[in-house]
Amino acid sequence: MRTVYHLIVLYLTVHFLWYLVREKKFWKQAGIVLVLIMFLLRLFLVE
Amino acid sequence: MRSFAPLRMTRGILLLALTALVCFLSGREFLSMRETETIFPGRGLTATRALSDYFPALKGTPGDTPVYVYAGPKDGGNVLVIGGAHPNEPAGFVTAVVLAENIRAVRGKVVIVPRANASGFTHSDPQEGSPQRFPIATAAGERWFRLGSRVTNPIHQWPDPTIYVTPTGQTLAGIEARNLNRAYPGKAGGNLTEMVAYGIMELINKERIDLGIDLHESAPEYPVINAIVFHENSADLAATAQMELQAEGFEFRLEASPPNLRGLSHREWGDAAKIRAILMETPNASHGRLKGRPSIELIIDGKDKFYEKAARLGRLFVPFGPDGIPLRDRVARHLAGLRAVLAGLTELDPGKAVEVEDLPTADRVRVEGIGAFLR
Repeated sequence: MRTVYHLIVLYLTVHFLWYLVREKKFWKQAGIVLVLIMFLLRLFLVE
Repeated sequence: MRSFAPLRMTRGILLLALTALVCFLSGREFLSMRETETIFPGRGLTATRALSDYFPALKGTPGDTPVYVYAGPKDGGNVLVIGGAHPNEPAGFVTAVVLAENIRAVRGKVVIVPRANASGFTHSDPQEGSPQRFPIATAAGERWFRLGSRVTNPIHQWPDPTIYVTPTGQTLAGIEARNLNRAYPGKAGGNLTEMVAYGIMELINKERIDLGIDLHESAPEYPVINAIVFHENSADLAATAQMELQAEGFEFRLEASPPNLRGLSHREWGDAAKIRAILMETPNASHGRLKGRPSIELIIDGKDKFYEKAARLGRLFVPFGPDGIPLRDRVARHLAGLRAVLAGLTELDPGKAVEVEDLPTADRVRVEGIGAFLR
């Protein structure tokens, strides 16, 4: 199940990274950053 | 097809750098919750083990935890004391630490597991804003203790089922799959929490425990409070202990363990391991629903104006005044309960007597503070 968890989180993290560099509007990028922080912490099983 | 504008890319990269910085800083905070406080066992310690010594599958997992054994020179009974089954209930854990750092067994054996749900100490309950740790002043300076979560860390055990079915068939909400005190008697091949519960049952069997005592706290609005919860095989012991406690000025209510509420220590230790099983609760405002702002002061001093108001409105099951219910009083209550239960065991079953020395008295803890009994 840990592998499944990692795959799901990794998939979403990559999508957020992609949107972050492609998004035009600054405030939407900032919003993506807020979500990305949590996903990175989950990806590395910190929290 | 959209092309990347340089400005947008640059801004994205800068925000990524900011993300990395925030991850680093917050990650450090989260990882610090995995540090364990040092326990300094007293000279009465005869062996230090790990829970994995009783159930090897726990070795190297976040569920493994230290076990302290205090064996006396004279034969007697064997008692298990569990603290930290719910790491957001500080008096249970701190009482177990006080025991480990002070007692000497004279007759029989005492086995202490201060951090029963070790994984639960590595995180906090989300959206509670609880402090990560709290200090207790000692003669040698401050010692810190972790305030954890009620349940196993979800990074150690994921996902929660929609409905959790305990090893004995009770159906509960999914989050209870990570609650150690719903996982007994455990499962060797179950989830991490069930494995920890199984490890404790193996400890009970291999150490030939006669009496198990599980130390907890509950919110002041919760009816099972200032209570001794007993398996029916311990009714006489609970009643004997209550009489002694009342003579000392402690009001304890007796709560019989409901036979159809499965998974809890006071039920399954008695049913599965056939040992006397007792669970004790003290009132803790810091994990109740009516509290104000969470803080270290709330944990240590136990004062809260909202609980005071609730007490005036008759909504609580314990008295709650301006002085609150400080941690030292809760630890004192647990120590008094332990002393009374051990005395009751000696009276009811002399062949299984467990006698200890240097068990701090409730009065001394209330007057001198917890720190006077920590190394």
